Amino acid sequence: MIRRTVSVVVVILSALLLQSTVFSQVRLLGVKPELMYLVTIVVAILEGPQEGAIVGFAGGMAQDFMLNEPGKGITALTLTLLGYTMGLARQYIVSPSPLLPTALVAAGTAAGTAFYQLVATLLGQLDEPLGYAIKVSLLTAVYGAVLTPILYPLLRRLFEGSRPQRVVRY
Amino acid sequence: MAVRNRPRATRLLVVTLVAISLAVITLDYRGGQDGPLAGLGRATLSIVVPMQRAVVTVTRPVGNFFSGLAHLPSLARRNQQLEDEVRSLQAVAASREFTRQQYEDLFGVLQLKTSLDPQSVAALVTGNGVSNFEWSVTIDKGSEAGIAENMPVVTGTADGAMLVGRVTTVSSNAATVQLLIDRNFAVAGVLSGSRANGIVTGQGDEDLQMGQIEKGTTIAGNESVFTQGYCVANLPGLYPPGLLIGQVSRTVPAGSDIEERVSVRPAADFATLEFVLVLKARTDCT
Repeated sequence: MIRRTVSVVVVILSALLLQSTVFSQVRLLGVKPELMYLVTIVVAILEGPQEGAIVGFAGGMAQDFMLNEPGKGITALTLTLLGYTMGLARQYIVSPSPLLPTALVAAGTAAGTAFYQLVATLLGQLDEPLGYAIKVSLLTAVYGAVLTPILYPLLRRLFEGSRPQRVVRY
Repeated sequence: MAVRNRPRATRLLVVTLVAISLAVITLDYRGGQDGPLAGLGRATLSIVVPMQRAVVTVTRPVGNFFSGLAHLPSLARRNQQLEDEVRSLQAVAASREFTRQQYEDLFGVLQLKTSLDPQSVAALVTGNGVSNFEWSVTIDKGSEAGIAENMPVVTGTADGAMLVGRVTTVSSNAATVQLLIDRNFAVAGVLSGSRANGIVTGQGDEDLQMGQIEKGTTIAGNESVFTQGYCVANLPGLYPPGLLIGQVSRTVPAGSDIEERVSVRPAADFATLEFVLVLKARTDCT
């Protein structure tokens, strides 16, 4: 359990640090990747809706407080719901395709960023032109899809390695 | 039985997490920048910036390499454009030298005091904002170095200072700087040629916009835009006059009959920003 918690903290912190340093320079047509969305969706796919919601909430709160701008809690709300939804969706999708995680990350990121923008706009924290909002949703989805084949195996190894082992005695 | 109860427990957990998120949103909304959550945000900044500094030390060359690759087509275009500009600038350099001498003489006669106070703090840019909806950087100096909110931040060489943005959040060892290109950024600007005033606002990754310029003003292409100093009720503006904001790139349809509007290409290169200066002293109104 401790190993698992440490793994989650390390992954969240690494995602935030990478996004604010390396990936802030490597933009896709001016748009940064949403690594926290990618991490949340991958955890939800691997571990289910409960873990997806917990990691989404923790990662979202970390991102919100690191931003230190008005609107704290919106990313946490978005990623909690995203982690839960993607975990549930994974339970009903039985495709063996290796492209499934990539497709889920792309769809989830597009839906998640659109939801974030909607909530932030309704709360008066965001006032972006519609064209830019659509561009961000689509490009973060593409960026997430490009990064998934690289990051998914790493995250799978990390989370499967830290999964509690059930001991059966005869 | 336990298996059947798991979805219910998960739903309860999600409802709890959503409720906490909504409570945080409400608390932050009511508290604003002075609320308890803002203090927690400043504490987070203090913890994260040293880690960012360590990551940046290792990864900046890697980031610069990939950034260079991503900007390769635009770099080639920019290179050609710069070569053209050099050729035209060489042609006008001689006449400008005469004008510069005149300007220096006038400057001495009028005894204008320099607008940039030497009191400033140099800081390293340790990271960028993580969101796609804010354009900011974090720096590795904070209140311990005398930095406070709303202080102007510049970059550049001895030839001149270029406006970068303003300090928005300060912790003991770090600060957040809202960049000039952020959509919520605005600064009073003055055109170098026509001397017309206007308000320059950030437009994200697109060029800045300068609006509220008097209708009928003749604006030349590539005209420079500088910050304009002003005093209201004996209180100075946030930015000292004479900081270079950028160059006029094109005229924009204003959408009204009372103003001219232009696009302004920022002078500072935000993609490669590494060191900045935070100006501590305020402009004097007297």
